[in-house]
Amino acid sequence: MTALTIDRINKRYGNLHILKDISIPIGQGEFVSLLGPSGCGKTTTLRCIAGFERPDTGRILFGERDVTRALPEQRDIGMVFQSYALFPHMTVAENLSFGLEVRKVAPADRQRRIADVLAMVRLEGYDKRYPRELSGGQQQRVALARALVIEPSVLLLDEPLANLDATLRDEMRFFIRDLQQRVGITSIYVTHDQAEAMVMSDKIVVMSAGTISQFGSPREIYERPASQSVAGFIGRSNTIGGKIAEALGQDSYKVETPCGSIGATGPAGLSRGADVKIMIRPENINTRSQAAAAGQGAGEGGHSDNVLSGSVVNSVYQGSANQLAVKLGSGDRVIVDVNGRNPLEVGEQVALRFAARDTWLLAS
Amino acid sequence: MTRASSGVEKTIWDRLFTVLVAAIYIFLMFPIVLVVLLSFNSGEFLAFPLEGFSLRWFEALFSNKRFLDATLYSIRIAAVSTVVNAVIGTLAAIYVARHATVARDYIRLIMTAPLLVPEILTAIALLFYFYEIRIGTDYSIGIQIGHIVVTFPYVFLNVSSALFNFDRSQEEAARSLGAGGWMTFRRVTLPAIKPGIITGCLFAFVISFDIFNISLLLKSLGSNTLPLELFDYLRFNFDPTAAAIASLSIFMTFAAILIIDRTVGLRSLRF
Repeated sequence: MTALTIDRINKRYGNLHILKDISIPIGQGEFVSLLGPSGCGKTTTLRCIAGFERPDTGRILFGERDVTRALPEQRDIGMVFQSYALFPHMTVAENLSFGLEVRKVAPADRQRRIADVLAMVRLEGYDKRYPRELSGGQQQRVALARALVIEPSVLLLDEPLANLDATLRDEMRFFIRDLQQRVGITSIYVTHDQAEAMVMSDKIVVMSAGTISQFGSPREIYERPASQSVAGFIGRSNTIGGKIAEALGQDSYKVETPCGSIGATGPAGLSRGADVKIMIRPENINTRSQAAAAGQGAGEGGHSDNVLSGSVVNSVYQGSANQLAVKLGSGDRVIVDVNGRNPLEVGEQVALRFAARDTWLLAS
Repeated sequence: MTRASSGVEKTIWDRLFTVLVAAIYIFLMFPIVLVVLLSFNSGEFLAFPLEGFSLRWFEALFSNKRFLDATLYSIRIAAVSTVVNAVIGTLAAIYVARHATVARDYIRLIMTAPLLVPEILTAIALLFYFYEIRIGTDYSIGIQIGHIVVTFPYVFLNVSSALFNFDRSQEEAARSLGAGGWMTFRRVTLPAIKPGIITGCLFAFVISFDIFNISLLLKSLGSNTLPLELFDYLRFNFDPTAAAIASLSIFMTFAAILIIDRTVGLRSLRF
């Protein structure tokens, strides 16, 4: 069941076309991230859902209810802002009480709900504090509590972790996700941080320049990106250019590249001779020094492995792994993660091995 | 780093600068201190040397019906100016900050014009205007309007600055929680800009109480503000009653500053 439907909304500011025919269906209880660089329209989309902006055309439905023309206060939303936007002249309890008073909830009921939600965000005993007496993380939890205490039909979060330091941000990701799942509230989360979107979301909407580049689960978006820009925005990726030589099955192809013939996976329906890029994630490439590879011989591995050779041009120690830059015979540079205990020197010849199922073809 | 180190090691220029600032302060404050001292002098004339401590001139001031009337009249004018400006100055600031778009800077300039145009010109312009619409200087309304016009920018600017520093997402948060426009203003915006309104109002009151040119030209027959009464008095008398009036004005100003500091803090004063 769709809890929220965004149906072909458009928004212009003067000559700027901010949102171009954006449509997103969101299911009951889903956590959906709007992800993209600044200026891609993700915040404008969220503000249209909240009612702070009105789309020029298109509709927004909460369940069956058309809210396109409704004021923010008529929509039954909870919103968490990047700046927290707590009311500084009110205590934590008064901040939480505000939405309940507006809804004319009886005082006894109010107190019970405030106590419940404070326990939920682990801020028991902080009800008499003023926002300025709390740390950033605590303020953000109050903001979350204030949005949840009114039990809205949709929770909207506008880069809520952007002002927190890295450690706290990691902690809060799981905290928010866990809370969202316990409450079961439909949530829309705006962020420019792809790692954040990956770990928190049921679905991710990747946006760029006012359009949706891809809409799918984190796994789909990471492993089967729809375009080069999505592949580049989500995680690290390598691309090798080539032409389709032959279709081997519905989604497997043989691609002719300057480094030789490579077996790859891709979307169905790519025609022979089409220009493509082969995307491979750094962690999916197996590296051996040329000498070791020769010693062990081929045939090990079992899959239809691809092997490319090249020379190490750069090596960066990253703790858990070494990140190597390898220059292929074709001149393409490929980033590879290798185990930190497997030292490969700059200048050394290496064999790169990767499975066809770990690749993905992008139209170039 | 260079700035920090120059702060630790004081150069000869730092010291000279300190002396210069001190000299300027003394130059500005000295006459005020003198006047206050003279108002407590028991001697007959507004002159040194001091002859002893006495409150007789304050007594003379409060037993002089003309001064008493003038003081009450000034307070009334200042109070009305303050209340009127609290409303229209705040509304104007909200309009300019929130709703004026293309012409915002021009509107802001016009709003602050009474500060920029010499007061005497404002007074003359208003005088002509009042005669043109046939109210002339027959009623207090003329001088009252003059005071409102001249003190308007103080409320306008203070509230503008408070609005500028106000995070609007608080209003959006209130809306998202279900509060309508009026409730959002009353419970979220108004408390946030209250310091600006209070500060602006105190300024408006003090300025209106002290202002001279506007009152001189626009005053109605038979009523004098305190500064005008003082001016008239000094033309024929030269006793410390005048100093007592000056002291009274100074005390009122200090009281205003004290109230600002105690209620909203002097640090919130920004122009």
